[in-house]
Amino acid sequence: MREVREVMREEPLVRGRILELLAEGPRSVPELAERSGLPAEEVMVWLMGMRKYGFVAETDQDGEGYYRYAAVRSP
Amino acid sequence: MGYDALVVGSGVAGMESALELGDMGYKVLVVEEGPSIGGKMILLSKVFPTLDCASCISTPKMGATAHHPNVTVVTDAQLSRVARDGDGGFHVRLLRQPRFVDLSACTGCRQCEQACTVSVPDQFNGDMVARRAAYIPFPQAVPLKAVVERAGTSPCTYACPAGVKAHGYVSLVRSGLYEEAFNLVLEATPLAATLGRACYAPCESACTRGSLEGPLPIRRLKRFVADTHYARRQRPPLERPAWNGKRVAVVGSGPAGVTAAWQLAKRGYQVKIFEAAPVAGGAMRLSIPSYRLPSAAVESDLANLVELGVEVATGCKVDDLAQLKRDGFDAVLVSTGTTRSMKLGVPGEDTLAGVSSALDFLRGTKLDQSPDLHGKAVVVIGGGNVAIDAARSARRLGASEVHLVCLEQRAEMPAYGWEVDEAAQEGVVVHDGWGIASFSGPAGGARALGSVQLKRCTSVFDPEGRFSPSYDEEVRSELRCEAAIVAIGMTADTSAFAALAPGGARRLQADRATLRTALPGVFAAGDAVTGPTTIAEAAGHGAKAAHMIDRFLSGLELTAAVEPLPAVDKAEVLGRQRHHSRRDPLPSSLSLDSSPASFAELEAPLSEDEARAAAGRCLDCGVCSECHQCLAACPAGAIDLDMRAKEEELDVGAVIVSTGYKLFPADAKPQYGYGKFPNVITAMQMDRLLAPTRPYNTVLRPSDAKVPERIAYVMCTGSRDQTVGNPLCSKFCCMYSLKQNQLILGALPLADVTVHYIDIRAAGKGYDEFFEQAKAMGTTFLKGRVASITETAGHNLVLRYEDIDNGGGVKEAEYDLVVLAVGVQPNADVANLFGPGELALDAFGYVEELDEDKEPAATSIPGVFVAGSTSGPRDIPESILHAGAAVVQTAAYLEAKPRREVGVGAPPLGGARASGPGRPASEAVA
Repeated sequence: MREVREVMREEPLVRGRILELLAEGPRSVPELAERSGLPAEEVMVWLMGMRKYGFVAETDQDGEGYYRYAAVRSP
Repeated sequence: MGYDALVVGSGVAGMESALELGDMGYKVLVVEEGPSIGGKMILLSKVFPTLDCASCISTPKMGATAHHPNVTVVTDAQLSRVARDGDGGFHVRLLRQPRFVDLSACTGCRQCEQACTVSVPDQFNGDMVARRAAYIPFPQAVPLKAVVERAGTSPCTYACPAGVKAHGYVSLVRSGLYEEAFNLVLEATPLAATLGRACYAPCESACTRGSLEGPLPIRRLKRFVADTHYARRQRPPLERPAWNGKRVAVVGSGPAGVTAAWQLAKRGYQVKIFEAAPVAGGAMRLSIPSYRLPSAAVESDLANLVELGVEVATGCKVDDLAQLKRDGFDAVLVSTGTTRSMKLGVPGEDTLAGVSSALDFLRGTKLDQSPDLHGKAVVVIGGGNVAIDAARSARRLGASEVHLVCLEQRAEMPAYGWEVDEAAQEGVVVHDGWGIASFSGPAGGARALGSVQLKRCTSVFDPEGRFSPSYDEEVRSELRCEAAIVAIGMTADTSAFAALAPGGARRLQADRATLRTALPGVFAAGDAVTGPTTIAEAAGHGAKAAHMIDRFLSGLELTAAVEPLPAVDKAEVLGRQRHHSRRDPLPSSLSLDSSPASFAELEAPLSEDEARAAAGRCLDCGVCSECHQCLAACPAGAIDLDMRAKEEELDVGAVIVSTGYKLFPADAKPQYGYGKFPNVITAMQMDRLLAPTRPYNTVLRPSDAKVPERIAYVMCTGSRDQTVGNPLCSKFCCMYSLKQNQLILGALPLADVTVHYIDIRAAGKGYDEFFEQAKAMGTTFLKGRVASITETAGHNLVLRYEDIDNGGGVKEAEYDLVVLAVGVQPNADVANLFGPGELALDAFGYVEELDEDKEPAATSIPGVFVAGSTSGPRDIPESILHAGAAVVQTAAYLEAKPRREVGVGAPPLGGARASGPGRPASEAVA
């Protein structure tokens, strides 16, 4: 597991990639991780940072205990 | 001048102390080192046992503290010394750290935060989510104002002599904001494409990442943003500022001149550049070979000047500065560079055809007037970068052999080592440690060059390090050649400016600090003043000249611009992480030919993917990158990156120490996996997940955002534990865990919550009932210590624990999420404010109360009192009660001694003062 400071530093770098994936429709963190090939715990860090700053918002739950998130703002 | 009482720390005990003393009419100064008052309580979800909203209780207290007429709150400040004054009071030294935001202007709109390009862990959310370098601490912060976190100037930026915010444009490239990155470079100099190619990149030498796998390609990133900008077909035109009615003449169009012209034009001056050569750009256009710096790149940069309204007159030699004044220029800058070549002074140098200076040779090459060197043997004399440029250019012009002769041994050569290596790869033969005895023609006495006679150089510098070569005249050698290029140094051509170079000086004379010359209104800058430097250094000198000329023409004292913050310590940067993942640097894009035939640019540009990936390696050393996006975004103009720390001294009558406690660092129990397993969190982090201002949309586990179904609490993590040196019970961990159990079961009704405990200590009014309530809601309690935590492949956690009440023995159970109920530790750093040993600490490191029964809150120093958990673990009600004791003690102490004159001390940050009730009010918080 990479240190969280290092992961967070890369949020501006991966933001566009995550938003591209979300342009296809709402996704959960495991789905985003699978589609991007990035570790789920790092996608979680980036996605929550993006949520805090209004790039994404949660939509609904998928029945497996995961929320789905949708893009609400472009990079 | 001072205050009746100083309160150190603004948690609940500090605020309570200040409010009560203020209500009594005492003047109180609250010093908080963080950006907001409120301590830890404001970050909690709810309080026990009432389950009242923590914010709802804390926020009014914060507001009351900040607005109390008798209380002055200073945030972002530290005390460096508290000394007794001999009169029962204290002399205090206060260091106000810059917040880089004008609090009187900031509206807390968060535009700066939205625009900021640096992402760091949010300490107010337990590092579970990112914040920005420019940020509002948290939604209920007091003051609700932005702060820009700056650890110092990033080493790359600090190293740039041109004043380019290197970290800033790296950060912007990382964010994909290329046009903004280009504009940031242009804040310093118009030479983005030029420096992106021909700068020697001191930024990269300073890059902290160089201590890991290698520095970022900072220079190439600058080229990337410049090339990206210039490649745009439609670009918004540069906005010309309104003319301020003044005109400045700039003589010379090298990096110093054009940067000065650029800076002056941006300030509204009408600027005209006079260039003697047929093309503008100075050495950039006439000396540096195109394989390193294509003319098109320089011309693109110079076009910025014209776009901004700067007039450039080429082929226009100035030899009468007074005429410029008569022509209506209000000030003149002379920045003519070093255009005169130094000579060897040996036989044949001036008489044989084929011996030329490097400057003439390079200039001819750049202007397509190069000599025919095809098949010829060429000797280049000199060991600097210009000599290397000449040698490599000669190879490209078809020279069959190029020999570079220099006095220095190879390791001593002033040229950069990598340039010497590249020259060698292109077939240049280096003869180090030789001096020139003479040039000779071929046998028969023709006036053409035939050979160069060498003599062994035994040393280049004298013991004081001054250039003073010594030779062994007996050791001789000879190189046959048809052309020789002398590159042993350059000086300014001062012949036209006798008044600026008295006595025939080789450089123009200007005041080092102000760049003023002996002639009124005439300034001088760049290599003509300093001697040969680099493009970046000359550009920086030009920017300084512009600053001074602007002040001169504005009738201001010629003082320097604000110095940058000190460079942040690289060890401190690397120490922010225990481990750095490897991020390989980009491989070199150079492809060198042993027989180069073209002046085509050697270095390939970065692709967008390469640039983004390279920028992504940045460590954000200074935290704030100085990308200036916050400056552009702030509608109130509140951002001020030039703020600096201020120290002031105050007198106070008494001191209340209320610095609270520290949480036990959970990673000090490595068997629990905190920091290693993403789903092991601390109870403070869980409180944040449960708070209305939570970092996630609900309680989620960090590994994958799953709503946890099985949650375990590990009690007494770091308390009642001799193995970590803390035998004390932290007193409130049981209660906050019971609180969280109930909140979790309320938020996640399907969750199972299990508490692994030693004892549940629920002593207090309503506390045991609170425990019973948690049980009734479904929390499972298992008595016994947890030995270890391991992680499954799916990031679930397996607890190995003792189960005392169910038959004993060691068992294992799997959970989605584990919460470590961390204990508390003393925060006794405050003792360092006083003289050694003055403020007594107890055996556990808390501030000692002399007699908790008879003199609660009194410490070993008369007049210094302690409030809240600074003297031992206390929950919120106890801390408030204890603060009451400290207040009474303080009031009694103040009343027992002559009243001090209370006057105006330091104004609060951004706050105005108002009168209020109580003592004759000379101050209050706005």
